[in-house]
Amino acid sequence: MAATTTAANLAQPRASRGLWGDAARRLLRNGPALIGLAIIAIFVIAAILAPVIAPFEPLQRDGSQVFKPPSATHLMGTDRQARDVFSRILFGAQISLLVGVVSVIMGVAMGGTVGAIAGAFGGKADAVLMRTVDVLLAIPGILLAIGIVVWLDRGLVQIMFAVAATNAPIFARILRGSMLALRESDYVTAARSMGASTGRLLLRHMLPNALTPIIVASTLALATAIIDVAGLGFLGLGPPDPRTAEWGTMLTGATSFYRQAPWIIFFTGAAISVSAIGFNLLGDGLRESLDPRLKR
Amino acid sequence: MALLAVEDLVVRFRTHGSVVHAVNGVSFELAAGETLGLVGESGCGKSVTSLAMMGLLPKPAGRVEGGRVMFDGLDLVTLSERDLRDIRGREIAMIFQDPMTSLNPVLTIEEQMVETIQAHKKTTHDDARKRAIELLTMVGIPRPENRLKSYPHEFSGGMRQRVMIAIALALEPRLMIADEPTTALDVTIQAQVLELLSRLTTDSDTALILITHDLGVVAGMTQRINVMYAGFVVETATTVDLFERPWHPYTVGLLHSIPRLDEERPEQLIPIEGVPPDQRREPVGCPFAPRCAWRLDVCWTDNPPLTPVGLVGRVTTTGSGATHRFACHNPPTAEEAAAGRPLRDGFVAAAPPGTVIERLVGADDVAPAAAEEVALFEMPEPGAKGLPVEPDAGGTGDDDDASQGRPT
Repeated sequence: MAATTTAANLAQPRASRGLWGDAARRLLRNGPALIGLAIIAIFVIAAILAPVIAPFEPLQRDGSQVFKPPSATHLMGTDRQARDVFSRILFGAQISLLVGVVSVIMGVAMGGTVGAIAGAFGGKADAVLMRTVDVLLAIPGILLAIGIVVWLDRGLVQIMFAVAATNAPIFARILRGSMLALRESDYVTAARSMGASTGRLLLRHMLPNALTPIIVASTLALATAIIDVAGLGFLGLGPPDPRTAEWGTMLTGATSFYRQAPWIIFFTGAAISVSAIGFNLLGDGLRESLDPRLKR
Repeated sequence: MALLAVEDLVVRFRTHGSVVHAVNGVSFELAAGETLGLVGESGCGKSVTSLAMMGLLPKPAGRVEGGRVMFDGLDLVTLSERDLRDIRGREIAMIFQDPMTSLNPVLTIEEQMVETIQAHKKTTHDDARKRAIELLTMVGIPRPENRLKSYPHEFSGGMRQRVMIAIALALEPRLMIADEPTTALDVTIQAQVLELLSRLTTDSDTALILITHDLGVVAGMTQRINVMYAGFVVETATTVDLFERPWHPYTVGLLHSIPRLDEERPEQLIPIEGVPPDQRREPVGCPFAPRCAWRLDVCWTDNPPLTPVGLVGRVTTTGSGATHRFACHNPPTAEEAAAGRPLRDGFVAAAPPGTVIERLVGADDVAPAAAEEVALFEMPEPGAKGLPVEPDAGGTGDDDDASQGRPT
């Protein structure tokens, strides 16, 4: 029996079931996470397929159909300029998701690098880097983002960078904390005692163990990034062209007419909050599935 | 030449304004294939000694501030991190106390074993994997080829310690340091793991340093024992010699604080009173003096060096003929060592300096029972800085408590 199992095992491709494979399997058994995943999937598909499924162009005016409530032709009604709200929300998803994802990736890259270096090496590097981070953390996020957009001028890339800059200090703190704790952990000492190199310790023993909170935090940060982007748009710091279908900008335009056309606020606000909830649910699910100790 | 020679090793931890004197000049040698027990209570420096040898002291607080660790002709203290890394795992391997936390939770056993093998040997993944299976079989893990894919949390504590032993033996090191390898395990598993460790190191002729606070563990496992106290080696001997005739009061105390099954009548356990000294203070005198029943005045001020028992021409530091050495000004006699307390008539452990001893001898108006009483007075002025001060050892001498003069 031993011989056959050995043969069978050796024939098996390795990494058929690794950390990530296991995590994915656990995630698929997590109800709320699946709902979150479904919500995100719907938004992503809607954003990608917006040009195909949207009944109207985002800037297209439908004659004199100003402030029409939801109907069969206009699923979510029309706005002041007789544009189809449903179509605009679909196109708006493109901007919100793109800016959200890119800014969080940028934030993780910037903050994570700083935090990992500070936590892994400690000492002076830690002191200098983390004090800088503390300064950034002291400024309220949205204020920092506004400042950066005003400084760098309006534009999608600037918005991405601004949102990334508000998130980066948080990622730096999280990763530094985990790395610091891991540096003294028994298994890192044990790995060192067996001759593992610094690079190996950092990348293979410490980073994967420190990654879980970062993945969770970044999924949750996606939710706030979408809200931040909308917030910047709401404050008039959205894309340079005010006609662009962007959720935050749309919301600003709609607030002036909330009595004539409450559905615009309702649907736009729903798009923002539901997508944020989707990322939150997924984030919580990921946290549970990425911890092998919580295996069920 | 000895495989390992630790020479006058000094380790200190410097943290915010305080210095912890963790290891204060420890020397010992180990021959190839020899087994040595490092015994002592928590905080006596046994683990720190081994971490210092491996260059694994927590940075930046812990530092080797003196001495050498010669391994196979190389001084591990001054060796570069790069060279040291090559020695770790390949020449010297270590097993830690808690198998539950010593394995990386997010890597499979296979990844951790293969990684260790490949860190030192240029070999293919498949070969390393075969070696891992071989090692797991050796340490008695059933169906190793299946278990390789498991994560640490899927193993029990005893099994994890077996995996740790397998990893430690992967590169056939010449020295294995086992730091309390069975403390975190159940008693039934302890024996199995110790037996395994003993068998495998004997088979491969690996020298073993077994760190433990349990004299029972070293009794059957090691050829020699170093007894450590507060960062000093206070007694070193072959296991047989040490159990037969301990010379240091601390060793005597240790032996009398564990129950023995071979006694006809259950003997009384004699606990060692007090706690180890505060190692944030520079050691003055014999570190064990405050807790010792045999202490003399000199013990408070002079730390005795390790001296051989009897008149020995040449001191042997390794092997079965190793010279029995101890560090004590006033060693217990054989009878006292057997009894666990001083038996000399009228012997009183010396009071700490800074106290005035008044002997009420020859005073006719004193009741006979009080004639030999010793009255201790604390000096109003604080004693010399750094000297441990005994808690008030008794009353003022005018009561009739005759037990006052008894050694504490």
